[in-house]
Amino acid sequence: MTFVHQEVWHWQIATYLFLGGLGGATFAISALIHLFEGCDRKMLSVAVMSSIGFLVLGTIFLLADMLQPLKAIYALTNPRSWIFWGVIFINFYFVSAIAYVIPLLEVWPKINPYIQKIPRGILDLLERFNKLAALTGSAAGFLVAIYTGLLISAAPAISFWNTPALPLLFVISGFSTGAAFLLLLSTFSKNEESWKIIAKLEELDAMLIVTELIILGAYFNFALFLPTGARESAQVLFHSPLFIIGFFIFGLIVPLALETYGIFFAKHTKKSGHLLVLASVMVLVGGYLLRYYVLKAGLFQFPW
Amino acid sequence: MARYGMVMDMRTCVGCQACMAACTAENQTPFWNGKFRTHVEDKAQGTFPDVRRVLLPRLCMHCENTPCLSACPTGATFMTEDGIVKVNYDRCIGCYACCIACPYDARYAYDREDVKKEEELYGKFTSHQQPHVDKCTFCDHRVSEGREPACVSTCPTNTRIFGDLDDPNSEVHKLATSGKAQALNQSLGTSPKVYYIPS
Repeated sequence: MTFVHQEVWHWQIATYLFLGGLGGATFAISALIHLFEGCDRKMLSVAVMSSIGFLVLGTIFLLADMLQPLKAIYALTNPRSWIFWGVIFINFYFVSAIAYVIPLLEVWPKINPYIQKIPRGILDLLERFNKLAALTGSAAGFLVAIYTGLLISAAPAISFWNTPALPLLFVISGFSTGAAFLLLLSTFSKNEESWKIIAKLEELDAMLIVTELIILGAYFNFALFLPTGARESAQVLFHSPLFIIGFFIFGLIVPLALETYGIFFAKHTKKSGHLLVLASVMVLVGGYLLRYYVLKAGLFQFPW
Repeated sequence: MARYGMVMDMRTCVGCQACMAACTAENQTPFWNGKFRTHVEDKAQGTFPDVRRVLLPRLCMHCENTPCLSACPTGATFMTEDGIVKVNYDRCIGCYACCIACPYDARYAYDREDVKKEEELYGKFTSHQQPHVDKCTFCDHRVSEGREPACVSTCPTNTRIFGDLDDPNSEVHKLATSGKAQALNQSLGTSPKVYYIPS
């Protein structure tokens, strides 16, 4: 048996997976906050526009890694492939996100004149079905986030990836980075009401980090059980200081501690604002490192 | 229709790598970048003093249940009626999902640099012409003319035996069903059409 590092997908794909999870989750959480809490439209539009930006950027990284990006439309041919579904999910996401964000952009005086050029009938329709777009968009965002894990789990010879835990890990991590980004964005809001949203996001992110820790525990427990490629991959990660310190300590444990402090001791006051910014940035960097190192640690287990 | 397959008799392989050279010459694979459709693994087995050398020739297993075909979003990877797994160069976008999905390391990128070098070396007689993911085709262009794949006809020790697995009179059928030959990584359920007689 031979273990060989995969030399196929590198940092470009890790960036795509990160931005896919972040973009999908940012939109899904924003839309859900809108549906359940109501929200200031300015912040919401910035959040959704950023999430669209993340996904556009992610798609550029994916296309740049391909040998023939101009033929990408052919990817809509084989429904047995996860990439086929990824293309469907991402397009479903873009359509929902754009339909959702257009009525929100009317609150920006500089953008409003451009929005008003859209025929009134269409604008009225978009406004009327705004909540429906939020609902379908949050589903699309979730699908995009989980797709990033499903894509790389379709690797029978890379046992560290070929596990049901990986899509779960990526979707939870994606939602954690999405919550962290929205938290970061909310701290810049001048609206007094935004602190209510911050409190919700802080609690959400802390819960997501705890869930991520549980999945990580299950994931590594599985990986270490037998002397397979998965165990070798886990060993690679245990010997990567940036994974342990950068992702695990500063990307999960420290932000969780800071958020716990914010929730229970600082009582969501502005006093904890700087700590929130710090925690959010750490979660975002940690989310990227997770994907980068999971890709890097992918080992083929060949039978010779 | 035939169902082509191969048996590797590891007892006779001497590791001369003539198969790799023949394949490269036949299929213009990018040897200049160390990329081949077929390889000969040269492994040491056991611990001193009980050690031995094992030579394992390998190529695409042309699996019946093909992970690469499932992973390919464009349908560029397909199986012919004769069970040969091929890549349609015009359709391949080079997303590498097939390279990740293949459990036998049978695929590689024929990238822009390789296409350029191919033009330099082979002039107007190039067979790839555009970037794509490349793999063994069992030399189906030769097989359709009644000839054997280049690696098979070159092998000086007859390690590689090629033929129709469904033809009860073929040597490959007899060997594959003899009980001596076995496929690699059978637990994955890929049902490879390349079998090995251990040394």
